[in-house]
Amino acid sequence: MRLREIAEKLGLEFLVATDPEAEVRGGYVSDLLSDVLAHAQAGDLWITHQRHLNVVAVGKLRAVSGVVFARGLRPGPETLRRAEEEGVNLLVSPSDAFETAGRLHRLLFP
Amino acid sequence: MRWFRADLHIHSTLSPCGSLAMSPRRIVEEARKAGLSLIAICDHNAGENGVYARRLARGSPTVLMGMEIQTAEEVEVLALFPEEEPCLSLQDELYSLLPPIPNDPELFGDQVVVDEREEIVRTVEKLLLSPVPLSLAEVVARVEGRGGLVIPAHVDRVPGGLLGVLGIFPPGEWPAVEISPWAELSALWERWPELRGRVIFRSSDAHYPEEIGRAWTELYLREPSFSELLWALEGKDGRRVRPGPPMKEGK
Repeated sequence: MRLREIAEKLGLEFLVATDPEAEVRGGYVSDLLSDVLAHAQAGDLWITHQRHLNVVAVGKLRAVSGVVFARGLRPGPETLRRAEEEGVNLLVSPSDAFETAGRLHRLLFP
Repeated sequence: MRWFRADLHIHSTLSPCGSLAMSPRRIVEEARKAGLSLIAICDHNAGENGVYARRLARGSPTVLMGMEIQTAEEVEVLALFPEEEPCLSLQDELYSLLPPIPNDPELFGDQVVVDEREEIVRTVEKLLLSPVPLSLAEVVARVEGRGGLVIPAHVDRVPGGLLGVLGIFPPGEWPAVEISPWAELSALWERWPELRGRVIFRSSDAHYPEEIGRAWTELYLREPSFSELLWALEGKDGRRVRPGPPMKEGK
Protein backbone atom coordinates (compact mmCIF):
# COMPACT_ATOMS: atom_id res chain seq x y z
CA MET A 1 0.00 0.00 0.00
CA ARG A 2 1.23 3.51 -0.79
CA LEU A 3 2.42 5.73 2.04
CA ARG A 4 0.07 8.56 1.05
CA GLU A 5 -2.96 6.28 1.40
CA ILE A 6 -1.80 4.95 4.76
CA ALA A 7 -1.21 8.49 6.01
CA GLU A 8 -4.77 9.46 5.07
CA LYS A 9 -6.32 6.42 6.72
CA LEU A 10 -4.31 6.69 9.93
CA GLY A 11 -4.42 10.47 10.19
CA LEU A 12 -0.63 10.85 9.89
CA GLU A 13 0.74 14.27 9.05
CA PHE A 14 3.67 14.51 6.61
CA LEU A 15 6.54 16.58 8.02
CA VAL A 16 8.80 15.71 5.10
CA ALA A 17 7.28 14.13 2.00
CA THR A 18 10.10 13.35 -0.41
CA ASP A 19 8.35 10.25 -1.80
CA PRO A 20 4.74 9.92 -0.64
CA GLU A 21 4.14 7.20 -3.25
CA ALA A 22 6.64 4.87 -1.51
CA GLU A 23 5.37 1.31 -1.13
CA VAL A 24 4.82 0.29 2.51
CA ARG A 25 5.46 -3.44 2.91
CA GLY A 26 5.46 -3.78 6.66
CA GLY A 27 6.15 -1.99 9.91
CA TYR A 28 8.77 -1.80 12.64
CA VAL A 29 8.58 -0.25 16.10
CA SER A 30 11.79 0.63 17.96
CA ASP A 31 13.59 3.52 19.63
CA LEU A 32 17.01 1.86 19.55
CA LEU A 33 18.72 2.73 16.29
CA SER A 34 21.16 -0.17 16.56
CA ASP A 35 18.15 -2.47 16.70
CA VAL A 36 16.58 -0.82 13.65
CA LEU A 37 19.87 -1.12 11.76
CA ALA A 38 19.97 -4.82 12.55
CA HIS A 39 16.33 -5.80 12.07
CA ALA A 40 14.16 -3.33 10.10
CA GLN A 41 13.34 -4.43 6.57
CA ALA A 42 13.33 -2.34 3.41
CA GLY A 43 9.85 -0.87 2.89
CA ASP A 44 8.92 -0.96 6.57
CA LEU A 45 7.13 2.03 8.05
CA TRP A 46 9.19 2.72 11.17
CA ILE A 47 7.35 3.98 14.26
CA THR A 48 9.53 5.58 16.95
CA HIS A 49 9.91 8.07 19.80
CA GLN A 50 13.58 8.70 18.99
CA ARG A 51 14.02 12.16 17.44
CA HIS A 52 17.80 12.36 17.18
CA LEU A 53 19.29 13.40 13.83
CA ASN A 54 20.64 9.85 13.32
CA VAL A 55 17.08 8.65 12.68
CA VAL A 56 17.44 10.00 9.14
CA ALA A 57 20.71 8.18 8.43
CA VAL A 58 19.42 4.92 9.87
CA GLY A 59 16.10 5.19 8.02
CA LYS A 60 17.97 5.75 4.77
CA LEU A 61 20.42 2.89 5.38
CA ARG A 62 17.54 0.48 6.00
CA ALA A 63 15.51 1.95 3.11
CA VAL A 64 12.38 2.28 5.23
CA SER A 65 9.31 3.70 3.47
CA GLY A 66 9.01 6.37 6.15
CA VAL A 67 9.55 7.29 9.79
CA VAL A 68 6.51 7.96 11.99
CA PHE A 69 7.00 9.85 15.25
CA ALA A 70 4.40 8.60 17.72
CA ARG A 71 2.25 10.54 20.17
CA GLY A 72 2.59 13.83 18.32
CA LEU A 73 6.35 14.08 18.88
CA ARG A 74 8.13 16.40 16.47
CA PRO A 75 11.85 16.36 15.64
CA GLY A 76 13.97 19.50 15.45
CA PRO A 77 14.64 21.57 12.32
CA GLU A 78 18.04 19.95 11.72
CA THR A 79 16.41 16.51 11.43
CA LEU A 80 13.77 17.85 9.03
CA ARG A 81 16.40 19.52 6.86
CA ARG A 82 18.52 16.37 6.73
CA ALA A 83 15.50 14.25 5.83
CA GLU A 84 14.75 16.59 2.89
CA GLU A 85 18.35 16.26 1.71
CA GLU A 86 18.51 12.50 2.13
CA GLY A 87 15.04 11.80 0.78
CA VAL A 88 13.51 10.20 3.86
CA ASN A 89 9.76 10.59 4.48
CA LEU A 90 8.95 11.82 8.00
CA LEU A 91 5.47 11.75 9.49
CA VAL A 92 3.87 12.38 12.85
CA SER A 93 1.03 10.37 14.36
CA PRO A 94 -1.36 11.91 16.88
CA SER A 95 -1.77 8.43 18.43
CA ASP A 96 0.68 6.52 20.58
CA ALA A 97 2.96 3.82 19.18
CA PHE A 98 0.67 0.94 20.18
CA GLU A 99 -2.39 2.46 18.53
CA THR A 100 -0.47 3.52 15.42
CA ALA A 101 1.17 0.12 14.97
CA GLY A 102 -2.10 -1.73 15.60
CA ARG A 103 -4.01 0.26 13.01
CA LEU A 104 -1.15 -0.03 10.51
CA HIS A 105 -1.11 -3.79 10.96
CA ARG A 106 -4.85 -4.02 10.34
CA LEU A 107 -4.50 -1.97 7.15
CA LEU A 108 -1.58 -3.93 5.76
CA PHE A 109 -2.68 -7.42 6.82
CA PRO A 110 -6.49 -7.33 7.07
CA MET B 1 56.73 9.92 31.34
CA ARG B 2 55.31 6.59 32.38
CA TRP B 3 52.14 4.50 32.34
CA PHE B 4 49.40 5.29 34.90
CA ARG B 5 46.18 3.37 35.51
CA ALA B 6 42.92 5.31 35.34
CA ASP B 7 39.27 4.50 36.04
CA LEU B 8 37.08 7.42 35.06
CA HIS B 9 33.69 5.81 35.69
CA ILE B 10 32.92 4.85 39.29
CA HIS B 11 29.49 5.18 40.92
CA SER B 12 28.97 6.08 44.57
CA THR B 13 26.24 6.34 47.23
CA LEU B 14 24.79 9.22 45.21
CA SER B 15 23.62 6.83 42.46
CA PRO B 16 20.44 4.98 43.44
CA CYS B 17 21.90 1.87 41.81
CA GLY B 18 25.23 2.34 43.61
CA SER B 19 25.93 0.45 46.83
CA LEU B 20 25.64 2.31 50.14
CA ALA B 21 29.14 0.97 50.79
CA MET B 22 30.46 3.22 47.99
CA SER B 23 31.30 6.21 50.16
CA PRO B 24 34.00 8.60 48.94
CA ARG B 25 36.32 7.16 51.61
CA ARG B 26 35.80 3.55 50.52
CA ILE B 27 36.23 4.46 46.84
CA VAL B 28 39.55 6.19 47.53
CA GLU B 29 40.76 3.18 49.60
CA GLU B 30 39.76 0.67 46.93
CA ALA B 31 41.31 2.81 44.17
CA ARG B 32 44.62 2.88 46.05
CA LYS B 33 44.50 -0.90 46.51
CA ALA B 34 43.81 -1.35 42.80
CA GLY B 35 46.83 0.79 41.88
CA LEU B 36 44.76 3.52 40.21
CA SER B 37 46.43 6.92 39.82
CA LEU B 38 43.51 8.82 38.24
CA ILE B 39 39.82 8.29 38.98
CA ALA B 40 36.47 10.04 38.58
CA ILE B 41 33.25 9.47 40.49
CA CYS B 42 30.51 9.72 37.87
CA ASP B 43 27.05 9.40 39.37
CA HIS B 44 23.87 9.67 37.33
CA ASN B 45 23.35 13.37 36.58
CA ALA B 46 25.28 14.25 39.77
CA GLY B 47 28.89 14.87 40.79
CA GLU B 48 28.86 16.08 44.38
CA ASN B 49 30.56 13.12 46.07
CA GLY B 50 33.68 13.94 44.07
CA VAL B 51 34.25 16.93 46.35
CA TYR B 52 34.73 14.67 49.40
CA ALA B 53 36.77 12.07 47.53
CA ARG B 54 39.21 14.83 46.53
CA ARG B 55 39.61 15.99 50.13
CA LEU B 56 40.33 12.43 51.23
CA ALA B 57 42.61 11.45 48.36
CA ARG B 58 44.81 14.58 48.41
CA GLY B 59 46.12 13.67 44.98
CA SER B 60 46.62 9.98 45.66
CA PRO B 61 44.88 9.11 43.47
CA THR B 62 44.04 12.24 41.51
CA VAL B 63 40.24 12.57 41.57
CA LEU B 64 38.56 14.40 38.68
CA MET B 65 35.09 15.84 39.10
CA GLY B 66 32.57 14.00 36.95
CA MET B 67 29.03 12.96 36.17
CA GLU B 68 27.31 10.39 33.99
CA ILE B 69 24.69 12.46 32.18
CA GLN B 70 21.70 10.81 30.53
CA THR B 71 20.54 12.82 27.51
CA ALA B 72 17.04 13.14 26.04
CA GLU B 73 17.92 10.40 23.52
CA GLU B 74 18.73 8.18 26.54
CA VAL B 75 22.42 8.17 25.64
CA GLU B 76 24.81 8.26 28.62
CA VAL B 77 27.98 10.35 28.53
CA LEU B 78 30.71 10.97 31.07
CA ALA B 79 31.35 14.65 31.75
CA LEU B 80 34.76 15.26 33.35
CA PHE B 81 36.09 18.47 34.89
CA PRO B 82 39.37 19.51 36.50
CA GLU B 83 37.65 21.77 39.04
CA GLU B 84 34.63 21.54 41.33
CA GLU B 85 32.67 24.67 40.47
CA PRO B 86 31.89 23.95 36.79
CA CYS B 87 30.81 20.40 37.63
CA LEU B 88 28.61 21.43 40.56
CA SER B 89 27.00 24.32 38.67
CA LEU B 90 26.12 21.98 35.81
CA GLN B 91 24.83 19.42 38.33
CA ASP B 92 22.45 22.05 39.75
CA GLU B 93 21.35 23.10 36.28
CA LEU B 94 20.58 19.49 35.31
CA TYR B 95 18.76 18.88 38.59
CA SER B 96 16.40 21.80 37.96
CA LEU B 97 15.57 20.28 34.56
CA LEU B 98 15.00 16.70 35.76
CA PRO B 99 11.36 15.58 35.77
CA PRO B 100 9.69 15.92 39.20
CA ILE B 101 9.72 12.18 39.88
CA PRO B 102 10.67 11.54 43.52
CA ASN B 103 13.14 8.76 44.20
CA ASP B 104 11.65 5.74 45.93
CA PRO B 105 14.61 4.28 47.86
CA GLU B 106 12.76 0.96 48.31
CA LEU B 107 12.56 0.56 44.53
CA PHE B 108 15.68 2.26 43.23
CA GLY B 109 18.04 2.64 46.18
CA ASP B 110 19.28 5.64 48.17
CA GLN B 111 20.74 8.81 46.68
CA VAL B 112 22.94 10.29 49.37
CA VAL B 113 25.84 12.73 49.51
CA VAL B 114 28.38 11.37 52.00
CA ASP B 115 31.25 13.44 53.40
CA GLU B 116 34.81 12.55 54.33
CA ARG B 117 33.73 11.50 57.86
CA GLU B 118 31.25 8.97 56.35
CA GLU B 119 28.31 11.13 57.42
CA ILE B 120 25.28 11.79 55.26
CA VAL B 121 25.30 15.42 54.12
CA ARG B 122 21.97 15.27 52.33
CA THR B 123 19.53 13.04 50.50
CA VAL B 124 18.65 13.92 46.91
CA GLU B 125 14.86 14.01 46.39
CA LYS B 126 14.27 13.69 42.65
CA LEU B 127 15.11 10.40 40.93
CA LEU B 128 18.51 10.87 39.29
CA LEU B 129 17.95 7.92 36.95
CA SER B 130 15.87 10.02 34.55
CA PRO B 131 17.13 11.53 31.30
CA VAL B 132 17.57 15.31 31.33
CA PRO B 133 15.42 17.05 28.69
CA LEU B 134 18.50 18.18 26.74
CA SER B 135 19.70 16.69 23.46
CA LEU B 136 23.10 15.04 23.26
CA ALA B 137 24.41 18.03 21.29
CA GLU B 138 23.13 20.42 23.95
CA VAL B 139 24.71 18.40 26.76
CA VAL B 140 28.05 18.39 24.92
CA ALA B 141 27.80 22.18 24.47
CA ARG B 142 27.09 22.76 28.17
CA VAL B 143 29.95 20.53 29.33
CA GLU B 144 32.50 21.87 26.85
CA GLY B 145 31.33 25.42 27.49
CA ARG B 146 32.50 24.92 31.09
CA GLY B 147 35.88 23.52 30.07
CA GLY B 148 34.86 19.89 30.58
CA LEU B 149 35.51 16.76 28.53
CA VAL B 150 32.73 14.52 27.18
CA ILE B 151 33.35 10.80 26.79
CA PRO B 152 30.34 8.75 25.61
CA ALA B 153 29.95 5.95 28.18
CA HIS B 154 29.99 2.22 27.32
CA VAL B 155 29.15 3.02 23.68
CA ASP B 156 28.47 -0.63 22.84
CA ARG B 157 25.85 -1.12 25.54
CA VAL B 158 22.06 -1.25 25.28
CA PRO B 159 20.58 0.63 26.97
CA GLY B 160 22.53 3.85 27.31
CA GLY B 161 25.48 3.42 24.94
CA LEU B 162 25.85 5.93 22.12
CA LEU B 163 26.26 3.28 19.42
CA GLY B 164 23.69 0.99 21.02
CA VAL B 165 21.06 3.73 21.05
CA LEU B 166 21.99 5.86 18.04
CA GLY B 167 23.46 3.12 15.84
CA ILE B 168 26.23 5.25 14.34
CA PHE B 169 28.32 8.22 15.50
CA PRO B 170 26.31 11.43 15.26
CA PRO B 171 27.94 14.51 13.75
CA GLY B 172 30.48 16.18 16.02
CA GLU B 173 33.92 15.49 17.35
CA TRP B 174 34.27 12.59 19.73
CA PRO B 175 37.81 12.90 21.09
CA ALA B 176 37.42 9.70 23.13
CA VAL B 177 34.87 6.97 23.79
CA GLU B 178 34.42 4.44 26.59
CA ILE B 179 33.67 0.77 26.04
CA SER B 180 32.05 -1.71 28.44
CA PRO B 181 34.23 -3.45 31.06
CA TRP B 182 33.74 -6.84 29.40
CA ALA B 183 33.75 -5.84 25.70
CA GLU B 184 36.29 -7.46 23.35
CA LEU B 185 37.74 -4.63 21.30
CA SER B 186 38.19 -6.77 18.17
CA ALA B 187 34.49 -7.73 18.23
CA LEU B 188 33.50 -4.06 18.61
CA TRP B 189 35.71 -3.06 15.68
CA GLU B 190 34.01 -5.66 13.55
CA ARG B 191 30.52 -4.50 14.47
CA TRP B 192 31.30 -0.75 14.34
CA PRO B 193 34.24 -0.17 11.97
CA GLU B 194 34.06 3.58 12.77
CA LEU B 195 35.47 2.76 16.22
CA ARG B 196 38.85 1.99 14.65
CA GLY B 197 41.44 4.69 15.14
CA ARG B 198 39.53 6.34 17.99
CA VAL B 199 40.86 6.97 21.48
CA ILE B 200 39.27 4.25 23.62
CA PHE B 201 38.84 4.11 27.37
CA ARG B 202 37.72 1.14 29.43
CA SER B 203 36.33 1.72 32.93
CA SER B 204 34.95 -0.40 35.73
CA ASP B 205 31.51 1.30 35.87
CA ALA B 206 31.74 0.02 39.46
CA HIS B 207 28.59 0.13 41.62
CA TYR B 208 30.09 -2.02 44.42
CA PRO B 209 33.49 -1.73 46.15
CA GLU B 210 34.72 -5.08 44.84
CA GLU B 211 34.12 -3.92 41.27
CA ILE B 212 36.78 -1.20 41.51
CA GLY B 213 39.83 -2.46 39.67
CA ARG B 214 37.96 -4.92 37.44
CA ALA B 215 38.65 -2.76 34.38
CA TRP B 216 40.86 0.26 33.68
CA THR B 217 42.63 2.40 31.10
CA GLU B 218 46.38 2.92 30.84
CA LEU B 219 47.64 6.44 30.21
CA TYR B 220 51.19 7.35 29.23
CA LEU B 221 51.67 10.74 30.89
CA ARG B 222 54.02 12.98 32.79
CA GLU B 223 51.62 13.02 35.76
CA PRO B 224 48.01 11.99 36.36
CA SER B 225 46.13 15.27 35.77
CA PHE B 226 43.26 16.61 33.68
CA SER B 227 45.52 18.65 31.39
CA GLU B 228 47.82 15.68 30.78
CA LEU B 229 44.73 13.60 30.03
CA LEU B 230 43.62 16.09 27.36
CA TRP B 231 47.11 16.02 25.82
CA ALA B 232 47.03 12.22 25.77
CA LEU B 233 43.85 12.36 23.64
CA GLU B 234 45.83 14.34 21.05
CA GLY B 235 48.91 12.13 21.39
CA LYS B 236 51.01 15.14 22.34
CA ASP B 237 54.76 14.40 22.68
CA GLY B 238 54.25 10.66 22.93
CA ARG B 239 51.42 10.74 25.47
CA ARG B 240 48.85 8.06 24.75
CA VAL B 241 45.82 6.07 25.88
CA ARG B 242 45.26 2.32 25.76
CA PRO B 243 42.30 0.43 27.20
CA GLY B 244 43.07 -2.29 29.70
CA PRO B 245 42.01 -5.90 28.99
CA PRO B 246 38.36 -6.95 29.11
CA MET B 247 37.10 -7.89 32.52
CA LYS B 248 37.22 -11.58 33.35
CA GLU B 249 33.91 -13.39 33.85
CA GLY B 250 32.81 -13.54 37.44
CA LYS B 251 35.12 -10.75 38.67
